[in-house]
Amino acid sequence: MKTLSAVSFLWQPFSRERRTETFTGYALILPALIGFSLFYAIPLIRAFELSFTDWNMLRAPRFIGLDNYIQMWNDGRFWNGMKFSFYYVLLNIPLQTALGLFLAVAMDRLTRSIIVRSVILLPYLLSNVLVALIWLWMLDPILGIVNSVITSLGFDRQAFLGSPSQALATIAGINIWRHMGLVAILFLAGLQNIPRYLYEAAAIEGASEWQMFKHITLPLLRPVMVFVLVTSVTGSFQIFDTVAVTSAGGPYDSTNVIVHYIIQNAFSFYKMGYASAMSMALCLVMVLYTLIQMRLMRASESDLA
Amino acid sequence: MKLKYLITTTLALASCQWVQAAEVKYMLWDSNQLPAYQQCATDFQAKNPDISIKITQAGWNDYWTAISTGFVSGTAPDVFTNHLAKYPEFAKSEQLVDLAPLIARDQVASDQYEAGLYEVWGRDGKQYGLPKDWDTIAFIVNMDIAKQAGVSLEELQTMEWNPKDGGSFEQTIRKLTLDEAGNNASSDKFDKSKVKVYGFQTPGGGGMMGQTEWSYLAVSNGFKFHDKVWDNKYYYDDPKLVETISYLAGLPDKGVSAPYEQTKSLGPDAMFVGGKAAMVPQGSWMISYFKDNAKFPTAWVPLPKGPNGQRATMFNGLADSIWVGSKVQEEAWKWVKYLGSAECQATVAAKGVVFPAIKGMAEKAMEAHKAGGIDSSAFITMSKEKTFLAPIADNGSQVDDLMKTSLESIFIGKVDAATALKEANAKINALGQ
Amino acid sequence: MSVFERLNWFRIICWLILAVILIVTVTPLWVMLKTALMPSSEVFHHSTAWWPTNPTLINFERVLGLLSTEESLKAGGSGAKVNFSLAMLNSVIFTGIIVVMQTMSAAAAAYAFARLRFPGNTLIFGLFVASMMIPGVVTFIPNFILIRDLGWLNTTMGMVAPFCLMQGFSVFFLRQFFLALPKELEEAAYIEGASHFYIFYRIAIPLSITPLITIATLIGINMWNEFLWPYLVAKDESHQVLTVALQGFKSQTPQGQPDWTGLMAATAISVLPTIGLLVVFGRNVVESIQFSGSK
Repeated sequence: MKTLSAVSFLWQPFSRERRTETFTGYALILPALIGFSLFYAIPLIRAFELSFTDWNMLRAPRFIGLDNYIQMWNDGRFWNGMKFSFYYVLLNIPLQTALGLFLAVAMDRLTRSIIVRSVILLPYLLSNVLVALIWLWMLDPILGIVNSVITSLGFDRQAFLGSPSQALATIAGINIWRHMGLVAILFLAGLQNIPRYLYEAAAIEGASEWQMFKHITLPLLRPVMVFVLVTSVTGSFQIFDTVAVTSAGGPYDSTNVIVHYIIQNAFSFYKMGYASAMSMALCLVMVLYTLIQMRLMRASESDLA
Repeated sequence: MKLKYLITTTLALASCQWVQAAEVKYMLWDSNQLPAYQQCATDFQAKNPDISIKITQAGWNDYWTAISTGFVSGTAPDVFTNHLAKYPEFAKSEQLVDLAPLIARDQVASDQYEAGLYEVWGRDGKQYGLPKDWDTIAFIVNMDIAKQAGVSLEELQTMEWNPKDGGSFEQTIRKLTLDEAGNNASSDKFDKSKVKVYGFQTPGGGGMMGQTEWSYLAVSNGFKFHDKVWDNKYYYDDPKLVETISYLAGLPDKGVSAPYEQTKSLGPDAMFVGGKAAMVPQGSWMISYFKDNAKFPTAWVPLPKGPNGQRATMFNGLADSIWVGSKVQEEAWKWVKYLGSAECQATVAAKGVVFPAIKGMAEKAMEAHKAGGIDSSAFITMSKEKTFLAPIADNGSQVDDLMKTSLESIFIGKVDAATALKEANAKINALGQ
Repeated sequence: MSVFERLNWFRIICWLILAVILIVTVTPLWVMLKTALMPSSEVFHHSTAWWPTNPTLINFERVLGLLSTEESLKAGGSGAKVNFSLAMLNSVIFTGIIVVMQTMSAAAAAYAFARLRFPGNTLIFGLFVASMMIPGVVTFIPNFILIRDLGWLNTTMGMVAPFCLMQGFSVFFLRQFFLALPKELEEAAYIEGASHFYIFYRIAIPLSITPLITIATLIGINMWNEFLWPYLVAKDESHQVLTVALQGFKSQTPQGQPDWTGLMAATAISVLPTIGLLVVFGRNVVESIQFSGSK
């Protein structure tokens, strides 16, 4: 059965039911499939073609074979960009997920105040660019309000976005601020589906709050966790807006994450072909990551079935 | 009744369409200049009822995204304000109309503009823009702080600089620097870890031009970018530049400037307006910004004289270009010609925003500044000293990026100036091969 | 006794952490509001103050376009005229169309992926999820050219087209939910002869109102804040959305400062509708998202 091709599957004599199911399935995904083909698949194929050309957007593309890929292999800044994006994900995701999870649990077990819930979602209502500008304003080492607090407490002035060693972590912090409410809301949804009696039973047996969290909450939250991780990791890997506004890849290239470098090549250096080649590499990395995650996700679904 | 009304309006609309004026779309980025050019457009339309001008303004970054995607998709504005750092690539990709034949046909006098402004917009006999304004660099000083420090205006106007001990320039900025206990930087009690006001703040590392950052000092020290405009061989490894950059990068150690890392976010202009820096270099396009934002008395003073006995400043300007894809090129040219004419430039001068490109107009702008309480004569003084043009060549944005990174490594203190600049220069000259 | 004590301590620590997080969340928003209420000429002098000095509403007035060009230039603004009510209306139309269309299309696709067997189901779903991984810079130029070729520049069609049929996030989110829905009702209906489409429309959708509202709200927030696409596709004032109309408050010159006070006032005003949205749908979003596969 498994080896049957799609066509013979459709024409199987016995499966009238299966045929209507197939038909309905395609009908239901059709609008999304049109959107996907027009605005994702075709541009991606086009970009794949462009990755073999020298194209500055303004003149006609010129075919140059694998030159872009060879250049990429030898381009230290490309590898640095990949490395910085990877660091960024490491700086961003664990803390963001942990804080989101903590907030979700707190909102589930500690307080059900609607005010608390609304407040933690507020930062997400502002756009990336505005959030970046607000923090740029507050984090200025000399004029910013954050440093005035730090120095009034007797600590040294911190350069934050101006320091090569702090800039990437600062950008991660800004985005954690914006996204932790969203993550918390997603987790909260998952938490609310965990049957109450499990906690009650555990409490009778004398389990502590921490033990309940570890043995009930965490395992039952796995499907949500996977959804949050897939979407937030891919989101973080594509970090660009905040970098462009706050540090423009600097200081000393320390925040030149891969998407920033790609966009720099495309729109400042007018090297669209090279930018396309790097985008292909980035896609490949992300698709591999997702495949792994999808595996994990499928496993978790069957666990709970 | 309703039907009749409908028919008449349709007809009226249709006939409107028939005699509708050709629309020329014009784009610029500096909102301060918008009212002046809006006025030019109104005057122009009064004379040319068959042409209507539609002005759009967008912030610097969005502006260039819109222009370059506009080229690709065929939606760029007919006429737009162009920048020296951006136009070589556009010209190379044949996106700009060559104005030379039109200039010859309509006998526009290229010598009516201040020297050099017209020439930088040309290459190999083609002309890609008509100059509209010029700018030079000067220092803006917080006169409250200067008064407290006992530094007179005359002293500020006659500073001299050298890369060894900084000359009277350094003496002055030491006096302008104050720590929290009120000691200035020439005092022995000065605590450079607790500075309240920095005497001088250089605006970061700068890229390939160092327009407000280092070019004025470097050139007064004998540096030149390249042999001539369009030459792809640069001299960024020149010891004269190395000396200058090392000097500037060393200022924070003396406590007279904030460490580079701390000036990255909002930058020196904000430090100046906030009263944390007493003196910063800036371009003439920022005159009205400081006028509106500084709450204390300020003065613009000429840049210091360098070791070669002269003050030096980059002499730069913007121009208007026409996009090749424009469907109303003749009308667009009329508008560009008007923008570059004495008439429009007089209107711009009267608004006192920028110095117009036509000879003699700058004094008019200075009058307008004076009426607004600002003495902008320092910029005109600078324009009569040793002026130099911005370096233009191919691959501008990549050269700029390489220099930016290299300078950053120096200012942060990771690499010494000689090594970093040598490396950057080698990479840059390899690009031009 | 000891359990009780430990519990209490644990709770107190949790409360403390929660309090710190809330303070950190709210402080920047207060700084934003405080800055918006200050005259532009004072912001750098009093950038570290916690309370607005000489509070004024002038920044809000110029954002709303109530002042003349000269007046707003004097107040430190860009002088660009903002037709606020028109931009607001355009934003509502832009966001509204996308929210409705994308939610419907994503719901249909998500249901098919979760419940129906058809060849290529997993593969196509995988591709949809993978579409979230495509860097925007890849699709940006081709999409722009496509919209131009269709003659949709400066039209509502052109603005909403790339968003209204498909976003990986929405399909993924809703599929996860449909997977978790109990199958019994649908199976019963199927045995009674209902079609798959009927089951989707009459059973699955009504059972999923909460996640649908959740995803609609998230799409709404994201689209309300979308800048680059509407900026490039619909520059004409007649179609400008709020983010585009307000871009004049960002940096105007290469080294220039943004118009900080105007920017903060603009941000404060533009975020109000999204807060309104939260209040209307808020209970659903924050209280009872029924998402999850843990049943």
